[in-house]
Amino acid sequence: MVRWIPDPERENPQLLAALGLTGTDELFRDIPAAARVGPLGLPGPLEEPEVISAVDRLLEKNQPRKGLDSFLGSGLYDRPSPAVVDGILQRSEFYTSYTQYQAEASQGMLQALFEFQSLWVELTGMEVANSSLYDGDTALGEALLMARRLREGRYFLVPQSLRWERKSILSNYARGPGARLKEIPQDSRTGRLDLGFLEREARNDCFGVLVEYPDSWGLLQEDLPRLRGILGDVPWVVSADPLALTVLDPPGKWGADLVVGEGQGFGIPPSYGGPLLGLMAARRRDLRHLPGRLVGATTDPTGRRAFTLTLQTREQHIRRSKATSNICTNQALMTLAFLGYASAMGPRTLARMAGAMTARAHELARRLGTLPGLVAPRFSAPFLYEVPVEVSALAVKDFLRGLLSRGILGGVPLYDPRPGSPPPFFPGYMAAVGPATSGRSLDRYAAAAQEVLQDREGG
Amino acid sequence: MTFRQARYDEPLIWEIREPAGTDPVELEGVPAGLRRKAPLAWPELSELELARHFTRLSQMNFGIETAFYPLGSCTMKYNPRVAELLARRDALLGAHPAQPEETVQGLLELLYELEGALGKITGLPHVSLQIAAGAHGEFIALLMTRAYFEERGETERTEVLLPDTAHGTNPASASMAGFTPRELATDRGLIRARALREELGPRTAAFMLTNPNTAGLFEEEILEIADEVHQAGAILYYDGANLNGILGKTHPGKMGFDVAHLNLHKTFGTPHGGGGPGDGALCAGERLAPYLPVPRIKREGDRFRWDYDFPRSIGKVKTAFGNVGLLVRAYVFLLAHGESGLTAVTERAVLNANYLARRLGELLPRPFSPLVKHEFLLSGAPLKERGVRTLDLAKRLLDEGVHAPTVYFPALVEEALMVEPPETESKRELDLFFEAFRRSVQDTPENLHAAPQNLSVGRVDEVKAARELLLSWKDLRRRSSPAPEG
Repeated sequence: MVRWIPDPERENPQLLAALGLTGTDELFRDIPAAARVGPLGLPGPLEEPEVISAVDRLLEKNQPRKGLDSFLGSGLYDRPSPAVVDGILQRSEFYTSYTQYQAEASQGMLQALFEFQSLWVELTGMEVANSSLYDGDTALGEALLMARRLREGRYFLVPQSLRWERKSILSNYARGPGARLKEIPQDSRTGRLDLGFLEREARNDCFGVLVEYPDSWGLLQEDLPRLRGILGDVPWVVSADPLALTVLDPPGKWGADLVVGEGQGFGIPPSYGGPLLGLMAARRRDLRHLPGRLVGATTDPTGRRAFTLTLQTREQHIRRSKATSNICTNQALMTLAFLGYASAMGPRTLARMAGAMTARAHELARRLGTLPGLVAPRFSAPFLYEVPVEVSALAVKDFLRGLLSRGILGGVPLYDPRPGSPPPFFPGYMAAVGPATSGRSLDRYAAAAQEVLQDREGG
Repeated sequence: MTFRQARYDEPLIWEIREPAGTDPVELEGVPAGLRRKAPLAWPELSELELARHFTRLSQMNFGIETAFYPLGSCTMKYNPRVAELLARRDALLGAHPAQPEETVQGLLELLYELEGALGKITGLPHVSLQIAAGAHGEFIALLMTRAYFEERGETERTEVLLPDTAHGTNPASASMAGFTPRELATDRGLIRARALREELGPRTAAFMLTNPNTAGLFEEEILEIADEVHQAGAILYYDGANLNGILGKTHPGKMGFDVAHLNLHKTFGTPHGGGGPGDGALCAGERLAPYLPVPRIKREGDRFRWDYDFPRSIGKVKTAFGNVGLLVRAYVFLLAHGESGLTAVTERAVLNANYLARRLGELLPRPFSPLVKHEFLLSGAPLKERGVRTLDLAKRLLDEGVHAPTVYFPALVEEALMVEPPETESKRELDLFFEAFRRSVQDTPENLHAAPQNLSVGRVDEVKAARELLLSWKDLRRRSSPAPEG
């Protein structure tokens, strides 16, 4: 089906005739014969109804999520989003447009991006925000590179809890400048960062420090308000969850230099892990080091308010090899989801939701923590809506598999699945509570966990 | 064509409604020192307010469905509606990447099939979909190149060569991966193999090339270029931004490339989203395949799973597995077209470009060879005699209700315009664009300087934007009512 090409049978000959050609072959005479390809063996073509059934046939092979209680999180969340948000995303003036290089033809998208920047500034307590990066993890990679532009040094300090994917992605971003990651130990009982280590290592060839808020074990570091004093002038990067920032003090207040995050939880469905939304906010003094696009307010010749991309001299299409990043395509459309979701829900509803989820997560921790063979929460540090659970009775994988067979997606395991990887700090997983997690689903979770553990004893 | 864009004095969301502040909430177990004290200043809109706000904003925005969008190197083709429909199925949207593989067999099979098709289309059979966008693919492939040479002990290979017509992302990616990029002069828009030989050496890690290139020309000496690069021991990198010009005719594998990134949001019709999300794929031949990111999809009989057992892999490069929602759209595009359809895509895209180039060539000079692939260059230099620049022409075109071409790129052409009319545009649309272009070129300098006049705003003051740097609602508020310090 090539209805998407306008009437090739009649129009192609007309176009060829206008060029004085008899066939399309003549348009490709500059491709050497030895570089020509024969048949490739691709599927299709299919008519539209056949395409729909082919894709649906595949998707039907997924296990339906109905009937499964999900406690999956670890940075990506399945939270219901008001239908009006997808309505915004379906405006084709937005989703079929390109980057706003012609500002006058793109005021709608530019204003939305400006509002999005404003929102991330407000949530983080920072001074400036860019208009998106690919996802939370690559945003962290970009933050590492930006910290390296702000300060010389070899080491980037990361919490011991940092989940393995983030470490791997960060190590890749560190490769260009030849930087190394160094882990900040965390107390095995409380989960608290080792401040003595931080104080020492921040002065030891270090160009940046990362703290997650909450961290990959779900924990909040009570020492955050005094971290700036400990770090001196070493660039401090905070990776924060946007929902958490509706109820927690913002990192900008404590003097963080960069705040990154994953925006998916705000109006973007999990969609098997993409598209996502990378967030980044910074201090105004570091603006010229910031990667990604920036939208600024200005005026037109009549004094009318207008918006435009600005400080483009930081970017690859102008500065080429000296750009602050190679990023071109970003996640602009997803900022509309973030903005739409945030405006539809409002800060009060989101804060209440975060509070309710936190209460439910504590209840889950209490329920699981009473079962022999589980430790929940694994640490004594405060946490919000994700619980670190240690499984001592059997392999984490087998425990989660047992839960799945009872209709529970119990959580995201902490181990690195690459063969030969070192074991995680504790054998366990992260269980996330969502806005839809009911008391009954906690009952089902606890009952299923008990059964799996008992089966183990019995077997 | 008479065109008037909607013009609303649309307020910012903060101007629609005062922020209501926040009430204290119960937050179990969280010490007071960490709890939010200052209320969040952000408004809560009713659904109608929200819908109206964004509908109005959308009416002040060009999209492919509102305007012909001939941006060079961006391949602004129709984004099929059926792909939008299928990308909103619950089985996709609700799937969490940490779900056990047995619960997402359908998605894994779809991605596996997509990888297979992309491997055939590029002739580079080892594929990773964990790529956010074109530039991300470049960066990752260069990290793989680094790993490859480090393993071989060839650490003196620190230089990446590229033509002066290269996309800006190429040198930026090379820098980001720790290489020193060096740009080579082209000869009438093309790289000559013999000249390249002089530049290649034991320090060369890779040569990055777009083919057809950003002048719209096919690099005719590509086979000799590949030989030279390989004899020098370096990697030949394919920037897939312009794949729309060669589908079914040739492919990177056959041309001798070692690795290629694809921009599925260009060639395979997934939406550009106002700048993103795009989606990428990285296709590798045998030399770089072991270094591709993990995990990769493995088929075992009729089951599919994620395979992490690639000891030489560079590891992970992005959250989860890629922009799966977009990958599903690209798969829809592929299924609908099939092989014959993809060839038809390229034939029509190239036909459109040559036809429009022939017509616009009557109005402005065209540098280099007359035969182009999917896009072509014009030079606005003759307009300077009348005190008019390419920028003025671009703004004047907007007044006609069409989007402007890419301007001032590549830099080797003075006052460049880069035009790409994809295969989904009809002859009528091309003829209308020619008329709009003719009216614009022939308009008075006064009108050209005053353009645009039919849009929601007049020409925006970019210098002022860069000077004042008002980057958020807070900045605007602070400026309109300067508060005392502290």
